[in-house]
Amino acid sequence: MSTKQTTPRHRRDLFIASATAVASVALVACTPSVEGGGTGDGADAEAPEKLNVLYATAEANAAAVQAILPQFEAATGIELVLDTQPYDALQQRVFAEFASNSTFYDIVIVDTPWAPALVDRLEPLGEYLEDESLNDLADADIGDYIPKVLYDTAVYDAGNPVARFPDTAAPGDVGAIKGEGFDVYGLPLQANALVMAYRKDLFEDPAQQAAYREQYGTDLKVPATLEEYAQVARFFTQPDKNLYGTTVMAGVGDWATDDFKSLLAAYGGNGTLVGDELSLDFNSPEGVEALTYYRDLIASGAVPPGSTSASWDEAAASFGGGLTAMTMNYHQVQLDEGVDGEIGFAPVPQGVTSGPHFGTWMLSLNANGQNKAWAYRAAAWLTASDQQLAMTENQLHPSRTSVYDEVSGENAEEGPTTEFYDVLGQSLAQGQGRARLTNYMEVSQAIAVAVNRAASGVVEPAEALAEAERNVRTLLEQAGYEVPASS
Amino acid sequence: MTSLPGGRETAPGEGGRRTRDHARRSNTASPRRRGFGQGLPWLLMVPALVVLLLMTIFPAAYLLWASLHGGTLLGGNGQFVGLQNYVDVLTSVDRLKGFALILVFVVVAVSIQTALGLALAVPLSAQTRSSNIATTIALVPFAVTPVVSALVFRELFNPNYGWVGYFMGLVGLPDDIAWLSSTPLAWVLLIGIDVWQWTPFVALILMAGLKSVPQEPVEAAAIDGASGWQIFRYVKLPMILPFMAIAVVLRTIQAFKTFDSFKVLTNGGPGTSTEIINLEIYRVALQSFRIGAASAIAIVFLILLLTLVPLLLRAVGRGTDEEGV
Repeated sequence: MSTKQTTPRHRRDLFIASATAVASVALVACTPSVEGGGTGDGADAEAPEKLNVLYATAEANAAAVQAILPQFEAATGIELVLDTQPYDALQQRVFAEFASNSTFYDIVIVDTPWAPALVDRLEPLGEYLEDESLNDLADADIGDYIPKVLYDTAVYDAGNPVARFPDTAAPGDVGAIKGEGFDVYGLPLQANALVMAYRKDLFEDPAQQAAYREQYGTDLKVPATLEEYAQVARFFTQPDKNLYGTTVMAGVGDWATDDFKSLLAAYGGNGTLVGDELSLDFNSPEGVEALTYYRDLIASGAVPPGSTSASWDEAAASFGGGLTAMTMNYHQVQLDEGVDGEIGFAPVPQGVTSGPHFGTWMLSLNANGQNKAWAYRAAAWLTASDQQLAMTENQLHPSRTSVYDEVSGENAEEGPTTEFYDVLGQSLAQGQGRARLTNYMEVSQAIAVAVNRAASGVVEPAEALAEAERNVRTLLEQAGYEVPASS
Repeated sequence: MTSLPGGRETAPGEGGRRTRDHARRSNTASPRRRGFGQGLPWLLMVPALVVLLLMTIFPAAYLLWASLHGGTLLGGNGQFVGLQNYVDVLTSVDRLKGFALILVFVVVAVSIQTALGLALAVPLSAQTRSSNIATTIALVPFAVTPVVSALVFRELFNPNYGWVGYFMGLVGLPDDIAWLSSTPLAWVLLIGIDVWQWTPFVALILMAGLKSVPQEPVEAAAIDGASGWQIFRYVKLPMILPFMAIAVVLRTIQAFKTFDSFKVLTNGGPGTSTEIINLEIYRVALQSFRIGAASAIAIVFLILLLTLVPLLLRAVGRGTDEEGV
């Protein structure tokens, strides 16, 4: 009898003890260990043996960064361990690291769509920038950044991430930034902007020039306006010769939104799509004009088949393979080996104004990091003018004015690389970034669907944008935003 | 009749009684021994139970909890919202359409795979050298990572430089079909890639079934004058129905989890015509990190699966019973 009474308890105790033991082991195994070596902040912080950097792959030109890492180790004795991840995996890793308050990575690369959600987990750099002793290895000098790049990428009010610094044309100044209630949350590196690439050999071909003059009564030149762009695209289109005028990125994805927002800005609309007060500016007369232009360009047959399912990848492949005379892309484009031609670069054609899409990566400090002083020094060194200049050897897209002066200024050698950097620098100075929303990717997807549907001729542009507005409003409200009733 | 040691034979069923008697005797051991005997299985199961608790039950419970909150991965805005996330899911036309699209995809893809798998399994189940080689080749698509096969298909069907267009042009067909720009053709491609990839899996299971069919009834039917089709339809097919049921259930569950091909090939386009709910969950959970909202979609999806799978099992089981297997 007594056994019957004690056995269940014994069983339960045994079960609980076993479960507790296993759970304890699991918990110990899962608890992140704090890496030693760091002693906190300040110029006198002990140098760690290594710093862990979470970085992108080709999206942020990891090869360029990897090439200069040995120099940092030679100068400081600190190894920079670069952990590279492709885009989707990187985004998930970055958010998971911050969600778990991990201390593992000292420096983390952040893309602009992620920043609004992450900004309160990033170390504000204002005090670091003001501390001369922390700028001994390399001067972070934020006044040297292209202003639009700096403010769009790295300057945030952590309490209100939607807001933008009021004067995005002013050279970067920490005092002014902090005075407005903002701070700097990263150092920009690898600045991508939508630029136009064209087949210089086709544009300079006398036969093409004569044919164009005969057809339109004007000289064939690189298009500077959207009207010229559409006309030149139609001129070059000869499907029987497997040649089309240009590319679009009208497939469902962020790329379609990027195409659209560039055109929206060119027609005088708000190229960031959503205003600081959450006005849904993409659904506007300018937006309808922009989308109508886009649809008509595609309907004219001046783009290759399948363009309404193309991403930036297909656009680059089409141009690289010699299928089109022009393209607009924010990634590096080059002609394939089998294509006998020459590339030229020019800014995206403008409408009433110009505002090509741009987006820049930034190196931010993990607020939970153990070696923040040295992490700052490393980030400042990696993004400094000299290092960015060195990385242009590997086609880095710089973010500093001084680097563009070097690689595309009067003293630079003539050639496609110089031309590209000249155009990129101009485009970044005029560019339009993304709306600062914690769920920007969902919003972008909803707009991309509208762009795709209008571009495919399924619905009229006005109807597509009205539908997108309804969807975006719902998405923003679900994400906790209070969207004004009328936009 | 069962032979016992010593040549004594027992009536049918006696052996079973002896076994039960032995078991009963074992169960009448001392209380101390019985307690240990009953506790031991639980003790042995502790590691598995802990793993189950940590890996399945706790996440499921967390999913349910999260679905009732407005949380994000980074912890903001995580207050209790009741059923609001579910209301958002069930009142969104796009999300309901996403559920419907994955359902249609599964039904069509698994049906085709089952039919083709059976058609493949019949010749491949023959024990010949050529069928062994063909089996090995047929299994190759099954071994390719789904995202890789999607990337390859995307290039193959590119209207400007894809091989498919090139070969279609050689035989006089249109060579610049924009497969992914057209809703029907995009679906053809999405279902096609799934059929290409998973038909060998179904065929493999059905081959095992066909090889297990005993020869006696087949030979008897042949002697009675049954044709090859009649032997297959009335002898072999009923016997492999349980195998077919396994294949259909496994494939259905797998197909509901399809993601890579849709993400790589269409990303939900054209428009939202291939926007299955799996893509929506991915975007909400892993791009916007709105964990509460994503959890609610996932729970609704789970309920859908929990409703459908037993129905499917019952339907398949009834079919099997009706065939008398």
